Amino acid sequence: MMSKLGVFDLSVRYGKLTAVNDISFSVAEGERVFISGPNGAGKSSLLAAIAGEVRAAHGRIEMDGDILSGRVPEAIARRGLSMVPEGRRIFRALTVQENLMVGVGLRRDKTAVPDDLEAIYAAFPILGTRRHANAGALSGGQQQMLAIGRALMTNPKLMLVDEPSLGLAPRVVDEVYDRLCSLQAQRGLTLVIVEQSSARAGRVGGRMLLLRGGRIVADGDATAFAADDLLKEAYFGEATP
Amino acid sequence: MTLQLLFDALSLGGIYAIAALGIALIFGVMKLVNFAHGQFIAFAVFALIVPSTDAVAVMGLGAAPALVLVPAILAVGAGLAVASEYLVFRPLRNASPVALMVASFALGVVIQNGLLVAYGGRPKAISLWPELGKPVALLGAEVPMLQIIVIVSVLVVLALLAVMLKRSRIGLEMRAAAEDFGMARLLGVRANAVIAGAFALSGALAATVALVLVAQTGVADVRMGGQIMLVAFIATVVGGMGSLPGAVAAGFALGAASVALQAALPIEARPFRDAFLYGLVILVLLLRPQGLFAAASAKPRV
Ligand SMILES: Nc1ncnc2c1ncn2[C@@H]1O[C@H](COP(=O)(O)OP(=O)(O)O)[C@@H](O)[C@H]1O
Ligand SMILES: [Mg+2]
Repeated sequence: MMSKLGVFDLSVRYGKLTAVNDISFSVAEGERVFISGPNGAGKSSLLAAIAGEVRAAHGRIEMDGDILSGRVPEAIARRGLSMVPEGRRIFRALTVQENLMVGVGLRRDKTAVPDDLEAIYAAFPILGTRRHANAGALSGGQQQMLAIGRALMTNPKLMLVDEPSLGLAPRVVDEVYDRLCSLQAQRGLTLVIVEQSSARAGRVGGRMLLLRGGRIVADGDATAFAADDLLKEAYFGEATP
Repeated sequence: MTLQLLFDALSLGGIYAIAALGIALIFGVMKLVNFAHGQFIAFAVFALIVPSTDAVAVMGLGAAPALVLVPAILAVGAGLAVASEYLVFRPLRNASPVALMVASFALGVVIQNGLLVAYGGRPKAISLWPELGKPVALLGAEVPMLQIIVIVSVLVVLALLAVMLKRSRIGLEMRAAAEDFGMARLLGVRANAVIAGAFALSGALAATVALVLVAQTGVADVRMGGQIMLVAFIATVVGGMGSLPGAVAAGFALGAASVALQAALPIEARPFRDAFLYGLVILVLLLRPQGLFAAASAKPRV
């Protein structure tokens, strides 16, 4: 079967600094893949390159066999890829509902939008209650749910989520992951999630890629990794070849 | 007397507000201060008359009935702005803000010189809707009909713009893009469409200012856009760069301050009214460097 997402020899550079160094991996349809690794490992740069927000220095990115690399972000979004970025990047001056509606412009099935909106409110009731409030007034956890809902409103097939647990209380993180996983099951989504805490990734379950210094140093089952020394090595030791 | 002052303040402030909005809209989505905005205004003024270097202006489009003239001149302004975006600013999309600003200066010079070639340098008297100069009695004061129409039109334009930004898809996309263009694009918002839309609106606002200026002053002058551009730019800075309500509020405030100073200053100090006005502006900016209304964010351009 063709993979949902294919990344081939991808590198991202900022001037002289190489943030992502010749990375290759693929993600199957419906899979959940965690990307973990220390600060500065290149996780966010990798997601940004896939979504078209930063240009790759070289390499190729494919979705459903279609080449994404070189396309502008709005064209990539139209192909069914959606991003929940690091720091959430909520439109603070817009209302909750307006935030959710920004991404529906690309959809061809406009008639399904009202039902989808209600589905988001059903999954995240607090967003429904506060639909006319300014998004800037939401708490961190609520903003994270809004960022996820906003990405889902584009009706994506593949969703990239960058550090959804950042700055949230553990109980709220549990809630965010619960919703994410059940939404994934309902919609047959493919998920790529950046998660600093490999323990958390292990508890949620899925596959895990371990990044260090812009390279993939391990690729396997998140739950097995969480208990393994491999992690310590990835964080503190020399990168394995 | 005081009622007349109020009407003066509202109509002058309204023109400043509309001009400032034209600048703030583009700054909001692109972080570009478009110094050619004044020449957009001048271009729309001259689009009313037949090109010739004769001293006497011959009405061309300006002779059309208002129902044709107004939409046509708005379209001229929008068209010029969209063409400018496509030919000048789009190729420079990834250039530095300073390069963009310089390009906008250059564009202004090109438009102004084009007008000089086509129309000559001398100001021309043109009479647009002269019947509107007649005073009407209102609440015990004599107010020129034109002033009432200007105030009403300004309010209508502001209301339409607010509804468009609040209710339409492109309006939502513009507001999202003004806050975080990169995020909007990740959600499928087309950068080119949003920027072209902002330029079209800005050009139509420039044309609105042009119509009001011509009707009020009865003059077409190649330089007329530059003066109002200065005040409008100051209004956008005072209002908080990129904040649309801020631009409107500051435009009205500048108009009111200008009219109030004119009335309150002793006769011998009146020639220096603008020095007092800009002194006030400096004072405001010293107290609130971020402007009266800080914009939602100052994220980099696309
Ligand atoms: N816009 C940028 N400009 C310059 N360097 C950057 C930029 N973004 C990230 N970097 C650098 O690239 C490296 C990888 O960063 P990032 O992808 O954010 O890693 P992670 O998400 O794993 O923490 C870091 O050294 C970081 O400082
Ligand atoms: Mg990161």
